[in-house]
Amino acid sequence: MFEKFARQFWWKALSVVLLFYTVIYGFLVKIPELNILEESIRNLFFHVPMWFSMMTLMAINLYFSIAYLSNGKPRNDVIASKTATVGFLMGVLGVITGAVWARVTWGAWWVFAEVKLNGAAAALLVYAAYFILRNSFTDEEMKARFSAVYAIFAFVMFMVLINVIPRMTDSSLHPGNGGNPGFNSYDLDSHLRMVFYPAVLGWIGLALWISTIMIRLELIFRKKHQLD
Amino acid sequence: MQFSRVAYLIRKEAMQEWRQRSTLAGMLVYVVGASFIVYYAFRGQITFPVWASIFWIIILFSAIHTLGRSFMKEANEQYYYLRSMIPPIELIMAKLIYNALLLFLLELVIFLEMQLFFGIQVDDTPVFLLTLFLGGMGMSNLFTLFSSITAKTGNLVLLSVMGFPIILPLLLLILRLTGLSDVEMMEDDRWVNAGAVAVLDLITFALALVLFPYLWKE
Repeated sequence: MFEKFARQFWWKALSVVLLFYTVIYGFLVKIPELNILEESIRNLFFHVPMWFSMMTLMAINLYFSIAYLSNGKPRNDVIASKTATVGFLMGVLGVITGAVWARVTWGAWWVFAEVKLNGAAAALLVYAAYFILRNSFTDEEMKARFSAVYAIFAFVMFMVLINVIPRMTDSSLHPGNGGNPGFNSYDLDSHLRMVFYPAVLGWIGLALWISTIMIRLELIFRKKHQLD
Repeated sequence: MQFSRVAYLIRKEAMQEWRQRSTLAGMLVYVVGASFIVYYAFRGQITFPVWASIFWIIILFSAIHTLGRSFMKEANEQYYYLRSMIPPIELIMAKLIYNALLLFLLELVIFLEMQLFFGIQVDDTPVFLLTLFLGGMGMSNLFTLFSSITAKTGNLVLLSVMGFPIILPLLLLILRLTGLSDVEMMEDDRWVNAGAVAVLDLITFALALVLFPYLWKE
């Protein structure tokens, strides 16, 4: 099912179209007039979708890690490792876009009194350890098995860091957390939504596309050198 | 799964530990030394939040040290013996329970030590003890499982590399809970936090039981 989907053309084209729409219309769309935020609210179309993409890719990583443990096919391990790579990249981009936004609105690149920032940094550390674990084995089978086990734990902790702890604490500056109003309360005439939802789909599509290319490259590399 | 066999395995762990008292004694010296360094560095005066964070950092490092060798004994021929004799799920269950208890004892020692040096007053002792137990259990679940990976590679640094980031969410929750057991806070908040840690412990415990058989093969 995944294989067929990965080879199809339509969703790649769709994500490119949606991203062009996001980049062009995202800078033209009428935005609510707000102090401090002002034009920086357009970062909504770039910063937030990065986290959605990261979560999607890490969920795929989890799925293929479990699949590897249940049937032991090296292919599943390749898919798991490459989706984690692209997911990590999206996370880094999310942190960078977030830091730029924080500089403009909160006055600093990094704010301690903000659980989501620390959670994001910790989540990136968790996945950085995943790559270090992968690279410390020479035996391919052992590498795949152990990193699959680690990936399952990593996903649980990722969810706790991103979704559980921020909801338990009040010290957040993010919209919709810690008593701050969410963006949906500013977006009364749904102008932002018209760009935001396509942007999310577009960025997820792009991330998936990059990972499918990386997976295919790795599989071809392995075939060429007869590694499997 | 036979619980009598699990109980027997726990006894075996304890006996093995007792026969090699030098490692246990080494652990105690490590802990006392660490607390004494902190005592000296802070000139005997410390506020509660600072104390709590240093307390948990000492526990974290001693946990990595102690639990890092949980599968060292099985790295040789014993591995084949154990693998042919008992299902892996019983082995990991015994190890997890034993390590959780061992870590709890170690935490009590560290706590008494720090109490002696700093005379910290903990407001709500039951919640504090619960925090100690839950924290120790969470660390033991993760570090015991990962130490079976590092025992295979013989690379002990790997345990810190994997262990520190993955323990972070648990540690953040525990630090909050430790703070809550001192500062006047709403009762509800306290139990929500303790509940979150308990749920996380249960999840990691269940995952360790399910995933260990995949690590415990050639």
